[in-house]
Amino acid sequence: MSMPRPALFGESNRKRLRRWAPALVLMLLCTLITIANPNFIEPRNLIRVANSAAVPLTLAMGLTFIILMGSIDLSVEGSLSIAAMVTVLLAANDANANSWGWFAVAAAIAASTALGALTGAIQTFLRIPSFMATLGIWFIGLGVSVYMLGGSAVRLMDPSIRDLALARFLGFPLSVWVALGAFLLACAIQYHTRLGRHILAIGGGEEVAELSGIKLRRVRIAAFALAGFFFGLAGILAAAQLGRSDAVIADGRLFAAVTAVVVGGTALTGGEGGVVNTLIGVLIVTVLGNGMILLGVSPYVQQSVQGLLIIAAVALSLDRLRLQIVK
Amino acid sequence: MDFRTLRSAFSLGWVNAAIPPALLLILILGIGSAAPGFLTQETLLLLLANTAVLFILAAGVTGVILVGGIDLSIQAIASLSSVILAQLVPQIGIMAFPAAILAGVVFGVLSGLVHVRLKVPSFVATLATGGVVAGIALWAADGRAITIEASGRVFTGWINGSFAGLPVVVWIAAVLGAALYLVMRYTPFGRYSLAIGAGEPAAIAAGINVDRTKIIAFAISGGLAAIAGVVLAARLSSGSPTLANQLLLPAIAAVIVGGTAITGGLGGIGRTAVGALIISIVRMGMTFIGVNIFAENVVFGAVLILAVAITIDRSKIAVIK
Repeated sequence: MSMPRPALFGESNRKRLRRWAPALVLMLLCTLITIANPNFIEPRNLIRVANSAAVPLTLAMGLTFIILMGSIDLSVEGSLSIAAMVTVLLAANDANANSWGWFAVAAAIAASTALGALTGAIQTFLRIPSFMATLGIWFIGLGVSVYMLGGSAVRLMDPSIRDLALARFLGFPLSVWVALGAFLLACAIQYHTRLGRHILAIGGGEEVAELSGIKLRRVRIAAFALAGFFFGLAGILAAAQLGRSDAVIADGRLFAAVTAVVVGGTALTGGEGGVVNTLIGVLIVTVLGNGMILLGVSPYVQQSVQGLLIIAAVALSLDRLRLQIVK
Repeated sequence: MDFRTLRSAFSLGWVNAAIPPALLLILILGIGSAAPGFLTQETLLLLLANTAVLFILAAGVTGVILVGGIDLSIQAIASLSSVILAQLVPQIGIMAFPAAILAGVVFGVLSGLVHVRLKVPSFVATLATGGVVAGIALWAADGRAITIEASGRVFTGWINGSFAGLPVVVWIAAVLGAALYLVMRYTPFGRYSLAIGAGEPAAIAAGINVDRTKIIAFAISGGLAAIAGVVLAARLSSGSPTLANQLLLPAIAAVIVGGTAITGGLGGIGRTAVGALIISIVRMGMTFIGVNIFAENVVFGAVLILAVAITIDRSKIAVIK
């Protein structure tokens, strides 16, 4: 099996257009911004775009799997801040005497992966909708991390972890390469593992998936743990980029991640889209943000524009024939 | 459905409805016996005053949850209305109140339109409109908190006063709560809301204008969020684009803890009042026994998950996503 979505019946023009629309939007956006301000295509600016896409891309990889499954994960910010908190408190920092080095990174990923698995367990064992389970976990994660940080900002002093953001390889900061690695890993999981195919199958139709012998509960918990893994990676990158962790390190991240996933063309109903779509979605969101700064638009308006993007993308991508009732 | 399942369903519903008030009573009596200072008129009035804003927010979102949706934009709308009030009060005086509230209603209607016309699921639609509103609030306030100066406080000071022995904020919450209770109970809109929440296909088949009912529910939610925002701004003499950010979770938790099912069709404003008081007492109790203020979110998150798990009507959702 290569692609899980073979073009068995041929595609209508509309569907083909829908599939290519995100890429077209990205190209159009780059062209328009370049015309308005040629500084956009300078290598220095492109590196800046790549750098600011690193954290959203890593986050959105995790969220993509959850949305592919037809669920939603609102705990992005809680999970990210847990990982950032564990990293700064266990590595060399200015609040305690710990200096675990890269073990701190491993512990951070373990913590957010465990939080993801807990989310999945809560959702499947208590049988409550994912948006409610993850809304609760969002604030639990945020509360725990702010509590552990004592409500203040703790600086990350470990030079090797800081190097994730400061050191460069082939001109790009290491965090960009880590994010790229996360993308390749997500591709491998989606297209070449059983878990990836089962997630897609659940999103396409849960009853059918169950009848085909897929263990729903196990796949769901694994998917939420996988998402937690990517959120943890993003948390470490965020802590390295900012050089500290505080109460607001995760602010606005959920929003950017959801925007990227749906703008990339992954349907909220599940079963359609994937991590490649999300890569394009992340680039659209980041390029738009960078372009607005280049054009001198107030940074405060960015959130509003992202909100409008979500509405437009979801409204265009929903397959209304399948949807009788929308809640 | 045979008699036994009918009876067990009935008794379960009765027990579920009785749990929140019983919990509230236990909490009050428990804290009252542990800390004798609690059951004084002064503390209870303070409790009511502290609950008022939370209740107003929660009452608005109750209507949306009753039709089976959710509104994640209330904290953004409340913050925006606080900014609008703080910006406009020095210029147009008392008229800043209706202007701020109108803005909330407008964004509520917009959420509703996005949800029903574009068929975007309500949690995404309101997440998105919430982002739009938060951006506008940041832009309007230039990212800062705006203090209401003495010239403006002439028009906002009345909110901190008392009327007939009760703080004005408690009166505002009580009047809004009573009005909403009557609307839900005695108007077609209230009936339709419950019907839609209980079974949308049946409501459509019965000829109910589902779209209009949902839009009205979102408009009420936006309007009440805005009222909560102006009350908060007037009490603190300051408006800020992040003023109400910490209130989304407690507000939704208040609705669910009160016994309104997240699946819709079951619950009401009275239950939300009980839920808001429970949340408020738990918060006061945590401060009292010295729980770190940052850890409160952990408790509310856990309470929310538990309350949803208890109140949810699983027969209504074929697949839990």
